[in-house]
Amino acid sequence: MTATHLPDPFGALGLEPRYDVDPRALEDRFRQLSREVHPDRFAGAPASERAAALSRTRAINDAYQVLKRPQRRAEVLLAQAGVAIGDREVLEPAFLMEILELREELATARVAGDQAAVGRLAAVMRARQRALIDGLAPRFAALGGGDDAAILAAVKHDLITLRYVDRYLDECDAALDE
Amino acid sequence: MLLQISEPGASTPKAACRERVVGIDLGTTNSLVATVLDAQPTVLTGGADAIVPSVVSYDGAEAVVGRAAVARGEANPVDTVASVKRLMGRSLADVAAVAPLLPNQLIDDAGRMVKLRFSDGRERSPVQVSAAILDELRRRAEADLGGPLGGAVITVPAYFDDAQRQATRDAGRLAGLEVLRLLAEPTAAALAYGLDRGTRGTYAIYDLGGGTFDISILTLVDGVFEVRSTGGDSALGGDDLDRAIAQVVLAEAGVAADDRAAVRAVVGAARAAKEALTDAATTALAATVGGRTITRTLTRDELAAIAGPLLDRTGKACRRAWKDAGFTPEELDGVVLVGGSTRSPVVRDYVRALFGKEPLCELDPEQVVALGAAVQADVLAGGQHDVVLLDVVPLSLGLETMGGVVEKLIVRNSTIPCGATQTFTTYADNQTGFDLHVLQGERETVEACRSLARFTLRGVPPMIAGAARVEIGFQVDADGILHVAARELTSGVSAAIDVTPSYGLTDEEVERMLIESFEHAEDDLVARNLRTERVEAERILAATRAAMITDVHLLEADVAVATEAAIATLEAARAGDDYLAIRAAVEGLDRASKPFAERRMNLAIAAAMAGKSVATVEAELGR
Repeated sequence: MTATHLPDPFGALGLEPRYDVDPRALEDRFRQLSREVHPDRFAGAPASERAAALSRTRAINDAYQVLKRPQRRAEVLLAQAGVAIGDREVLEPAFLMEILELREELATARVAGDQAAVGRLAAVMRARQRALIDGLAPRFAALGGGDDAAILAAVKHDLITLRYVDRYLDECDAALDE
Repeated sequence: MLLQISEPGASTPKAACRERVVGIDLGTTNSLVATVLDAQPTVLTGGADAIVPSVVSYDGAEAVVGRAAVARGEANPVDTVASVKRLMGRSLADVAAVAPLLPNQLIDDAGRMVKLRFSDGRERSPVQVSAAILDELRRRAEADLGGPLGGAVITVPAYFDDAQRQATRDAGRLAGLEVLRLLAEPTAAALAYGLDRGTRGTYAIYDLGGGTFDISILTLVDGVFEVRSTGGDSALGGDDLDRAIAQVVLAEAGVAADDRAAVRAVVGAARAAKEALTDAATTALAATVGGRTITRTLTRDELAAIAGPLLDRTGKACRRAWKDAGFTPEELDGVVLVGGSTRSPVVRDYVRALFGKEPLCELDPEQVVALGAAVQADVLAGGQHDVVLLDVVPLSLGLETMGGVVEKLIVRNSTIPCGATQTFTTYADNQTGFDLHVLQGERETVEACRSLARFTLRGVPPMIAGAARVEIGFQVDADGILHVAARELTSGVSAAIDVTPSYGLTDEEVERMLIESFEHAEDDLVARNLRTERVEAERILAATRAAMITDVHLLEADVAVATEAAIATLEAARAGDDYLAIRAAVEGLDRASKPFAERRMNLAIAAAMAGKSVATVEAELGR
């Protein structure tokens, strides 16, 4: 399986491609476009127009889904800068060992039905997720200062790390749902 | 058919007829139909009660629905179906927990949707039973409105998965309804509330019905109703509380919990006692089991204790929903109560404590969903309300990949309609097919998610391993139903797909049921199709002509010629009796006018992005 290819979500919402999007402005734009082109507003129109409204709305919704998440936004900007994240990216062994151990702890807590322990593990990982995401803004802000390749490589590293963190948190949520 | 397999962009959404459209709340316990009269949503009664119990009896030659069916059910429980909503899009294994408590004979259909067998020797799908309820509602509405319905919005629990939504839509089709939209119940309720109050802000809708629980967090701004997150349990409701009470009573009386007749007798008494406790602090519960009468007093505190574990399940879903929405309960502007079960003070106390605020319940919790659905039907039919509903897909959708892991293509709480694509490649030389497995759910493994369908992709051109690139497109429509399309990218071949739905009915099955449901099947079906296609032709002709006048400057000469020709063809076809010819001519007009429609849409988007009126943008573009 290869990576999902994305159309330009910034373009779909008529926004300049940048990391520090104002969440309020993004929401406003999304609502405003939805009001104009939502298929419900074309319910009585000819089918070709209804189909056009449906496909535009889908593009707007898909773009919003991506841009409202800082991490996904960063992925798009990274891809637009020509840096791809592959299927088999390798992180440093120390990190992988740590994740492996944390996964074992989670599995143990889950089997024991120890919800408090699952909650603690989730909290630790969530703090880490927060720190990684918070670190993205300064990195993007520093772009254009001459060391772009190194910055993009660091962003890529953060995003790959975040994938592991997210997957771990998904498992925590699943355990907490039991 | 569970999965709609189609060419990308080939499917077109439905159009609403402008008159006599209704909203239907197809509930587990009760159903209602409503419409907008003089800009006011109103429940229709057909000269009887507004509330129709969702009970169908196959005791005699014809299906009987509602109160009459409830009466028959006492004498003949085996041939009377209640709470059929719990069986929609579900296999026998899925409903193992409730099946032993139902008086009906349930049959496994090779792991697909469960069927019911009746004394008349016939087997019926839950879809057919639901269609009987919808048919009754349709007749009541037609009696009140004085003519055939132009279409209906049918509500579904927000947490209904793809199979359950498909089953509901199929039931609408079987009942002879043009299903304009499936609408999430809490969203419908928000619509009824929001319009009444002219509200702005972010609200939680807590919807506890007879058999399902939903929680939705919505933001209302200037007529846009944006669902931020939704959650719930499509098998948790007031029915479960009745059973929990019954179990306590039976245990105290020393009656075995697997005595079906005894359980049914006590469940009825438990429900009555529960309802009595809405107004009283104490009530008497009495039931006759095996000739012996069991009596007991039940207090509201005891009810709260019994309800505790069930309410905690709703609490868990609420916490996840507000977390997904990125809100804390303190940040919410209010929590709205929907569903008959929220009449109970025990439930109200729980919600008040959970959200830390007094719940809102000005509108009748049993009518509010139907009223909201009526408003949405009116909007779709071109009515006055200036609102847009942005609903979400409740559960993530994905594909099975190597090692039984699920790769999510669309994550839960994505605004619908939405889509995603994923590219696959071949792993063997000259491989011409793929097996794909579509799943819905949040977990990582195939076993922990719900299977929607398996399909086989054929006709991929033979190439060396890894050379072919097959793009699988997932598209979720405005009803929350998934459509899958596939294309081989290097050759441009649209591969053929064979679908095996895991639970739903195939198109052929729905068609057969439809034919069976008509007395003079063929004639009626042809007449109905002809009527529908003529109405559609009328509508598209009018809309196209209107657009050609208002936006004549966007109409290029060659497109204008092609569109005029297609209009002439359609007019000729409409005069004839061949509904397939009309349908083909409608499609022809669509194709011809497509470039024009695209230009009109582009202009609307450009204007919205620039925050200007269409006229200003046109002026700037020098038109």
